[in-house]
Amino acid sequence: MKGTYLGELEEIVLLIVGILYQDAYGVAVMDEIKNQTGRDLNISAVHTVLSRLEEKGLLKSKMSDPTGERGGRRKRIFLLTAAGKRALENANEMRNQLFNKIPKVALQFGAA
Amino acid sequence: MIKVSPPKWADRFLEWYCNPSLLEEIQGDAYELYGRALKNRGRKIADMQYAWNVLRFFKWSNIRRSSSQPHSSLMMYRNYFTVFKRGFLKEKGYSFLNVFGLAIGIACFLLISLYIRNEYSFDRMHSKADRIYRIHEILQSDGVGERSASQPFPVAEALVNDHGLQIEKAVRFFNFQAPTLAMATIDNRKEFNESRVFSTDSTVFDVFDFPLIEGDPKTALNKPETIVLTESMAKKYFDGESAMGKYLKFQGNTNLLVTGVMRDIPLNTHFQFDCLISLRTFDEVYDPRVPQRWHWYWNPCWTYLLLRDASDAPPLQAAMPAFVKKYFPEFVRNDVTMELFPMTDIHLKSNMDYEIQPNSSLTTLYVFGSIAIFVLLIACINFVNLSTARAANRAKEVGMRKTLGGQRMQLVGQFLFESILLCLLSVVIAIAIVAVLLPVFNVFAEMSVKTIVLLEPFYLGVLTLLPLVVGMISGIYPAFVLSSFKPITALKASPNRESGGTFRRALVVVQFTLSIVLLVGTGVAMDQLNMLRKSDTGFTRENVVMIPVTRSPVAQNYEALKNEFLRNRNTVSVTALEEVLGAKHQVGNYIFEGQEDSRPFPRLTVRHDFTKTFDIPMVAGRDFSEDVITDDSLALVVNETFVKQMGWGSNEDAIGKKFDNIPTHKIIGVVKDFNFTSRHQPIRPLVLQLNTTLRAFDVRIKYMAVRITGEDVPGTLAWLSQQWKAQIPGWPFEYFFLDSDLEKLYKAESKMSKIAVVFSGLSILVACLGLFGLSTYTAEQRKKEMSIRKVLGGSNAHIFVLFSKHFFSMILIANVVALPLAYFVMKRWLESFAYQVNINFGLFALSALVAVGIALFTISYQAIRSANSNPAEVLKRE
Repeated sequence: MKGTYLGELEEIVLLIVGILYQDAYGVAVMDEIKNQTGRDLNISAVHTVLSRLEEKGLLKSKMSDPTGERGGRRKRIFLLTAAGKRALENANEMRNQLFNKIPKVALQFGAA
Repeated sequence: MIKVSPPKWADRFLEWYCNPSLLEEIQGDAYELYGRALKNRGRKIADMQYAWNVLRFFKWSNIRRSSSQPHSSLMMYRNYFTVFKRGFLKEKGYSFLNVFGLAIGIACFLLISLYIRNEYSFDRMHSKADRIYRIHEILQSDGVGERSASQPFPVAEALVNDHGLQIEKAVRFFNFQAPTLAMATIDNRKEFNESRVFSTDSTVFDVFDFPLIEGDPKTALNKPETIVLTESMAKKYFDGESAMGKYLKFQGNTNLLVTGVMRDIPLNTHFQFDCLISLRTFDEVYDPRVPQRWHWYWNPCWTYLLLRDASDAPPLQAAMPAFVKKYFPEFVRNDVTMELFPMTDIHLKSNMDYEIQPNSSLTTLYVFGSIAIFVLLIACINFVNLSTARAANRAKEVGMRKTLGGQRMQLVGQFLFESILLCLLSVVIAIAIVAVLLPVFNVFAEMSVKTIVLLEPFYLGVLTLLPLVVGMISGIYPAFVLSSFKPITALKASPNRESGGTFRRALVVVQFTLSIVLLVGTGVAMDQLNMLRKSDTGFTRENVVMIPVTRSPVAQNYEALKNEFLRNRNTVSVTALEEVLGAKHQVGNYIFEGQEDSRPFPRLTVRHDFTKTFDIPMVAGRDFSEDVITDDSLALVVNETFVKQMGWGSNEDAIGKKFDNIPTHKIIGVVKDFNFTSRHQPIRPLVLQLNTTLRAFDVRIKYMAVRITGEDVPGTLAWLSQQWKAQIPGWPFEYFFLDSDLEKLYKAESKMSKIAVVFSGLSILVACLGLFGLSTYTAEQRKKEMSIRKVLGGSNAHIFVLFSKHFFSMILIANVVALPLAYFVMKRWLESFAYQVNINFGLFALSALVAVGIALFTISYQAIRSANSNPAEVLKRE
């Protein structure tokens, strides 16, 4: 079912939106991903992911006030919803749990 | 602030495709990136990057779409249906006119298409139909002679021997060229003259698929003196007892053993028969007596070839000239052309002399096809007109739907849905009409199509596609007109606006143009037919009793019988001749003075008193005379056209001209021209030859002709019958009247004109249904206007004229367009006839008058109503 599974890129975008809090719109998200992970994404790809996350109910959006920039066009600001936060927490928690279950010895170099 | 100016075209493209609700953020982000790139990397790169981004944004999720919600459409259709049902029931009159008019149109279309389909189905029931060819013999010199559908006896065998690589089997049919042949049971308890008797080769069942119920197709006709009957023939003679192994007496002298019973021959074959006699029965009768070269001259056998492959036809055709040279006697060798003709084309395309039965023609099918399309078109136009006319009444609904968020495409969908639904209803009614009328139509058009045919895949397809296509075509215009209403004007109080009025008027003009063309066309066709049937053929047809005598004992008793017949005071004259006069003739080869070798000429063999019996005047010389015994062999009589064709000058000059290079053989007389074939053909040269020998009755003399006065016809017939029985005991006396038999010549035209009358009548009816609907609507629309005119002093007559005026002008325009059109079309049609009726302009005036009259009658109902309405009643509302 939709919303139950979070893709890798989706997770990153979700995290970035969280990081940018109140200031997450298309270009900003794209830039931040570049800064944080070094991944070069096209702006349209970012839009696609953002609208998909909104469809899944993990993000909500509103239009910002118009400024003189961007030819006077407003930005769509994305915010985490409660479900979005929970999804991030779940993902994080599951990762930690799984990581903790790895036997110490498996993480050591030279283990056979 | 950076001045942002990304490339215009890319920007426009983005604005064009992008969903408006997403445009702002997308364009904003793109502009922001553009600004950044402009600053860092220069204009060129920024432009390219912008264009690239715009392209990248061009994806399904961002593209502008109609916002109609897919999941709600089912619900909407339910709503459309409800609205449709209410509208339908609220305006029952309109709905009835609409549906019924269209149903008539569709029913006509279906019936005609069934007819056309039947015509195309001829002879296709045989599994090898595509490989069966009939071979024709054209014997002509300078265009005179015959184009025969049949062949000399030995052709079939010679062809199979010489061209066995291409020809698998050949089969001949022979019927003594006799109209009827006598058949009886051995005990003579049942005797009939049979008209559908053929003798044939045993290969008949290899070539054709005539299913045998009893008997073995391989051996049934192998032996002489065997016969295969159809089911109904077996029933007729043997009363339901098994016919197998019993005998039938043929022509009073040959006993035939029944070796098979087959199914009755279907109606859609180019010839039908009741029984097949093995041809070997007669081979032995004929062979010894006839000189060899006459075998290759006399051509009474319809010969069919089964090719090994249809592609063998062209090489075989190419080999025919050599074949003719090899076999045909020298005196016809240069005049004979052989032609292979595909059997499946015979019914529609073959038009030879001596066809077994009269065929149909493609022209007829084209005429019917156009009538079918005309009627359907007229019905569709009705539909369009009535729907658009009602548009104004639904303006408020459209306005309301639009206000509540209905998209234009949704409205178009709604109206298309309604028109398709109406068409579906019409189709159902049309099918009912067809089911009821088909039995009548079958008799009328001489076919045996069952309603069940409509369940064939082809018709199922047609019946599902038809409402869709007709619904679309007739619904598309109303749909776009209706959906184009602006909500504000639509919801305003006054709904009285003419919309699409010009278009509607144009359609009415088209409708009436088609109807008038059909009317005039039918009229001219009937005129032509009457002219063919009724006009003077140059000989007397009335009160002529024709008695078939081929191969009968009359040969010995002819003179005695003739004298007995003449003893009655109501008998005018008695003769005997070769064919039904005015229908058919034979061909003979003669050499006349001035010719080197013999040429084929149309010929009739006659007995004395031929010209007297048929009242044909001599224009020069003398008739055959009983006093000159040598007339039998030394004399010929010719017609005027013959003299003209030979270039002999006056008719008197022809007398004494020699023939066959023998000084004593002379032309002794010239008769006035008469139509010895149907008037489809002009009069051609004709040779009359006297033959008083007994053997003439074998094949040359086929009928006695007795002209009577017309007084006490039953008494005279009884007299003839009585004398016949006394002179020729044990031979049935059968007769027919010449004039009624000649009616058959124009059967195709008569059938066509009957069908055309019915359907052009229906087309007028449908057009009038439409006109009635339209005038009702106009009356409704102009109700108030008329009332105010009345209040202000307009008289009833004035209002009537005012109301009818614009309908009248439409019909007038239709006349102006239709009459010349009909004239040219019918002129072309008439060109296919040798004798053409003068196009009667009174008929044009009459058709115009009928159209105007019917139209006026139709609208006058509403005109009078609106003229007589009480203004107080009308105006008090509002």
